[in-house]
Amino acid sequence: MRGEISFVVNRTITRALLTTALLITPLLVRAQDVAPPPPDYVSRDEYDKLKAEHEAMKQEMETLKQAVRQMANGTAPAIPAEGPPPAAAPRDAKQVVSAAPAPSAVTDELRQEVDTLKTQVKETFPGSTKFLVAGYGTSTLAAQSGSDPFFDATFNAFLLWKLTDRLLVEGEVEFEFEDGNTTTNLEIMQASYLLNDYMTLGVGRFLNPMNYFVERQHMGWVNKFPDKPLAVYDGLLSESDLGAQLRGVIPIGPTKLEYAAFVANAPNLTTAFDDPSAVGMLDFGNTSNQFGHFAVGGHVGFIPIPELEVGYGIRRSQVGPRDHAVEAILQSVDVNYVRDSTLLKGLINVRAQWVWSHVGHFVYDPNGQEGFGPFEFNNNRNGGYAQVSYRPTKIDNDILKNFEPVVRYDRLNQLHTPVGFDEQRWSFGLDYWVTPSVVVKAAYEIDEKRGGGRDQNTFLLQVATGF
Amino acid sequence: MKTIVSKICQWIGLPGVVIISSCTAISWLILGCSTEQPAGGVAAANPAAESGGKSGAELWAENCIRCHNIRSPSSYSPTQWEVVMMHMRVRANLTPDEHKKILEFLKSGS
Repeated sequence: MRGEISFVVNRTITRALLTTALLITPLLVRAQDVAPPPPDYVSRDEYDKLKAEHEAMKQEMETLKQAVRQMANGTAPAIPAEGPPPAAAPRDAKQVVSAAPAPSAVTDELRQEVDTLKTQVKETFPGSTKFLVAGYGTSTLAAQSGSDPFFDATFNAFLLWKLTDRLLVEGEVEFEFEDGNTTTNLEIMQASYLLNDYMTLGVGRFLNPMNYFVERQHMGWVNKFPDKPLAVYDGLLSESDLGAQLRGVIPIGPTKLEYAAFVANAPNLTTAFDDPSAVGMLDFGNTSNQFGHFAVGGHVGFIPIPELEVGYGIRRSQVGPRDHAVEAILQSVDVNYVRDSTLLKGLINVRAQWVWSHVGHFVYDPNGQEGFGPFEFNNNRNGGYAQVSYRPTKIDNDILKNFEPVVRYDRLNQLHTPVGFDEQRWSFGLDYWVTPSVVVKAAYEIDEKRGGGRDQNTFLLQVATGF
Repeated sequence: MKTIVSKICQWIGLPGVVIISSCTAISWLILGCSTEQPAGGVAAANPAAESGGKSGAELWAENCIRCHNIRSPSSYSPTQWEVVMMHMRVRANLTPDEHKKILEFLKSGS
């Protein structure tokens, strides 16, 4: 029996090694085909040469500008000193005049040339390329039943650096001011390399590829509610992961198939009793990869028509101490439908996502040392949201067309876990779009907890700005 | 050589051979799809087939609106659009052709 197991294990390892080798081979072959990159530094001579070219171009541009001005004024352009000698006077002046282009055509041509030169000159300026700071900020007022109202503010700076046509480095830092303290968090830091037209390799800390809401919808100026739905954000799925991902899109006729596969630090299983309700939860902030487990997962999304996207994501990992680790499986399905409808005179936006979390059988505090064990339970949770919004973008009223009512239902089921209750919310919101990336949102949430906990209805007001 | 190959096949079994062959074929197929890189971006293998002959403006409207409001081409400079669009190509899984056409459209209007 033991021999059989060993045989199967060896065979599996051999298959894995062979697959890996064969997958890597084309990459290596391709890497060798690519010409070596240009050196990182320019010599003094190259700099002087570039500078001289730059100066020459500036002079040329000035000359051309003068010529354009003179042409526009109806006078003949002066011949540049370093320009070619004037052509010999034609014998038949009439013929030449009739063959010459109209002055306006010459002016346009010269103008285009000047524009081209301007662009070329601008592109030689050092530091004018490929670095961009973008981001978003939010200011929120939250008034919750049974609690004091409070203000909250966040600022997320997004730094993008396109190093080459294939390499992009992006980082996002979040600053949040709450309860008198400012917290800083590195949301993402990812280097993405386009391996080919349909495959990108990303390494670093990236947004969870299996979580559609997090990847595409959580940004303050994109999310239509002041807060995030239960379960999918800060709940059953991670917001970001540390590791590597391979992603891309494959066009299939008029449809598209998106994919992402990743390997990342596994979450930690909360086993201590510091917070009784947290026992058995997955903690995704495992930056040091405690216990050395890795999570493997992915997401596929199918876009049959431009308005519709349907996706499925999964991740598996071992969690918990090495000697009695258990399996954690997270799954997610997402549906998104966005249509700019002439019939409905506006933009209809329907989104839904549901998540399942399963952690294998584990005995918490097995020796009773922490005073609550041995404790075990069926660690299954699920939850998600559905949301509909409508913005009458095609009506004539300039004010009304910027309003967008939105309704959301979100839910998190964890009654049979130490949390001890299921929670559902109905949220009703009204957004006003000041510009495409500046929005004022107001929302009221009706909260209902089943099995324990206090219902907390909430009024939220938020201004979100994307830049 | 033949013996070694047959021994490997025997060792990994038929499913192993099928899995490895499929993975290899897919990886070669996909890795072979890269096109030469022109200045300013990566071109598509078959642009017409990929975007169904849609213009940059059409692709801009239907791809961007899937997640957020459409930003005006004048929101950024041409150089900035290059950076933004590379980011969006990765984040929103745009095809090379969509990326190229949308970028051209945005740059022309910025």
